[in-house]
Amino acid sequence: MILSPTIITILSLNFIFLIFGAIAFFLSIRIYQKWNLQATTNLQYKLEKQSYLAATIIKYIFLIKIPLFLFFIFTLDNISNSITGAMCAAGVVDATPYGIYLFIFKIINIYLFGYWLMLHHKDSKDENFSLTKQKFFIFIVAFLLLIVEITLELLMFLAIDLTQIVSCCGTLYSSTSSSYISNIFLISPTLQLIVFYTLFTLMILGYFFKNKYFFIIINFLFLLIAIITLISFFGTYIYELPTHHCPFCFLQKDYNYVGYFLYTFLFFGTFFGMGVGFFKNGFKWSLTFNMLYIILITYYPVSYYLKNGVWL
Amino acid sequence: MIELKNITKTYKTTKIDTITALDNINLTFNTGELIILKGASGSGKSTILSLLAGLSKPTSGEVIIDNKRISKLPDDFATTYRQENIGFIFQKYNLIGGLSVKENIMLPLYPLNLDSNKLEQKANDIMEKFQIVHKKDIIINNLSGGEQQRTAIARAHINNPKIILADEPTANLDETLSLSFIEILKELKQENKTIIVATHDPIFFNLKFVDRIIEISKGSILS
Repeated sequence: MILSPTIITILSLNFIFLIFGAIAFFLSIRIYQKWNLQATTNLQYKLEKQSYLAATIIKYIFLIKIPLFLFFIFTLDNISNSITGAMCAAGVVDATPYGIYLFIFKIINIYLFGYWLMLHHKDSKDENFSLTKQKFFIFIVAFLLLIVEITLELLMFLAIDLTQIVSCCGTLYSSTSSSYISNIFLISPTLQLIVFYTLFTLMILGYFFKNKYFFIIINFLFLLIAIITLISFFGTYIYELPTHHCPFCFLQKDYNYVGYFLYTFLFFGTFFGMGVGFFKNGFKWSLTFNMLYIILITYYPVSYYLKNGVWL
Repeated sequence: MIELKNITKTYKTTKIDTITALDNINLTFNTGELIILKGASGSGKSTILSLLAGLSKPTSGEVIIDNKRISKLPDDFATTYRQENIGFIFQKYNLIGGLSVKENIMLPLYPLNLDSNKLEQKANDIMEKFQIVHKKDIIINNLSGGEQQRTAIARAHINNPKIILADEPTANLDETLSLSFIEILKELKQENKTIIVATHDPIFFNLKFVDRIIEISKGSILS
């Protein structure tokens, strides 16, 4: 077990989220089961009042939980100094068997929480409560995922053994690694880049044709290929090291915290893109953030080439 | 048209005890009518006004105004609806003591983000109409009861609402001022406003221009 002020903060917040989330969860089940907007009964009026309470609790949990993801990364990065062998957050993630699953759950959850907030925003602008039932059903699912995430988080912090040597990111994210990550390096970087820029071009076309389903699929594929190319190709230009592929090190001060900008642009871009039906200007926001991501990430290999006259 | 359908309203007094303020009542008010809700204190008159204004929700039943289900509106929408359609004159006027007459009257208009000249113009017109313009810069705490009531009426009227609700409007006035209020009611009725007055003041019960008097007792309609 490792405890630092940042971990205590995360665990304390998790405790608060669980308590308030549980209240909202039980209210949500009741609302989902008994909601009948046409009814003018005492029960329905009570549910309408309770829906305010539940929605307000959920809104604030999610509003805090989303930016807390960045704080979580910062925490991992921060405690990597205490774990022998770990050079950045990657080493901490790999230090326990729970790390990678926690990471996956965190990413799924921030998208889900974000969509819930959008749904709630839309519902609160509708005097007929037309999305209320869906909203609370989604929360029932989201809360279960939140419990899984919090459990994994607790297990991960409990399982960290400071006496045990862990692999550094240089080992984990290399073509010789025995992990699933090494599969990325089996695909030719040229092919990956062609797919990456083609998907972005298709996204621009999707923007002009305003086809929601096409745009959602393209954004989902773009998110996957963006992470793959970030590890296999672009990361090496940020580090200016052909063998370093870590997707965490560029979150550090040495690289001007550029990782926070990159992930924010990518997650916001694909978030708006995959939820294009929810947003008034979903197409525009998605394309803007994804374009910012493309510009920033392309800058690194281009500037390297212009400075040195060669590719890595 | 205003409809109250099967309205019951109960209030919790303790964890286990409740008081039934309205017991399954049905009422209909037509547009342009002046209605007096007559009844003793605690009979449920004010509760009816509060439900009509969307200030509270029934325990069961529904309030429909011009085919809109007011009691089913979320709070934000109920507030907007009230702002656009309802003028409420409270028994104790509910004015802000530290503000001037003009500022109090302009309050309902602030959320509309109107141009300041337009705002002033509207306030001046309404103050002239209710003969309070000469006191426009006086702080509310320094006004007499009658002047405070005129200010409250002007404030209720500034949004040009279709419906005016008055809760015991003459409870704090002497007879002369009460008669003056009745003259104002008459003018408002001529403007085809729907006016509902909750009162137990006998001065209202023999007025010729009143369309109906509805008697309420212990949460039920007597007549």
